[in-house]
Amino acid sequence: MAQDLPPTGGYEPVQYKRNLPARGFRPSYYLFAVATIMTYGMYKAGQGIRERNELAREKMWARIHLIPMLQAEEDRDLVRRYWADQAREKELLGGNAKVYHSDRFVRPTFSISPAKSTKE
Amino acid sequence: MSTRQPRLNQQVLLDTTPLPASVPPVPEIGASSAPLLSASFFIGARCGAFNDDYMKCKEEARGRGEIDCMREGRKVTRCAASVLDDINKNCLEEFRKHWKCLDNNNQQLWHCRRPEQLLNKCVFDKLNLEKKIPGSPEGETPIHLRKTQTFSHNISSIREDEPQV
Repeated sequence: MAQDLPPTGGYEPVQYKRNLPARGFRPSYYLFAVATIMTYGMYKAGQGIRERNELAREKMWARIHLIPMLQAEEDRDLVRRYWADQAREKELLGGNAKVYHSDRFVRPTFSISPAKSTKE
Repeated sequence: MSTRQPRLNQQVLLDTTPLPASVPPVPEIGASSAPLLSASFFIGARCGAFNDDYMKCKEEARGRGEIDCMREGRKVTRCAASVLDDINKNCLEEFRKHWKCLDNNNQQLWHCRRPEQLLNKCVFDKLNLEKKIPGSPEGETPIHLRKTQTFSHNISSIREDEPQV
């Protein structure tokens, strides 16, 4: 019986590669495109951050210029209340007891209910 | 400023006793936040020395500044009041436009550059007070003089067709 042999000239080459068309551009082009977009975006973001820093500086200095005036007004009000309290205490009790073991100014946190209530 | 008025029993109890006569009276400012923000850099330009003096006094008084620095505090208030007074006398219209713009735009300065330009020009011409932001980087246009404001939604903030001042 004749033995099974390869055909004359050998077998056909086996097709192991896929035959798909390569779509689009070369991959490096996409890399460059994305890099360009990102660079532009980061540049604009950086510009925005710098502008925001300047706006924050402007706002901060606006407040710095106003703080002493607001603080002076507040302090005057506190001192007015404090002296009124002291005078009231002296009138009622005949003297001022030293309440705190300190010479610092302590912001009055209490209020005396007046005989007549104030109309708002 | 930040003190809460004591509220007892649903009545507002205010101590209305005035300061003793030995303290010179000083009228308080009485302006709300938008006009103050609008005028802040002019207050800083004219009253910077008084402001620094007062804050230094408070710092050095070591906790007694409220009473010991009342004199400096009166100077600060008088100076700020004089600035507001001068602006009201000389640039009332521009001033109003600017602080109303600030009030309508969340008190964000970058939405109101056009009214601010007009106000700054008027105040510089008549009162010789200039808005300067300390510490802004050298060689760059200061933020309040730039033609474009990236974060502004207000088309009227700066327009190219209007003359720049």
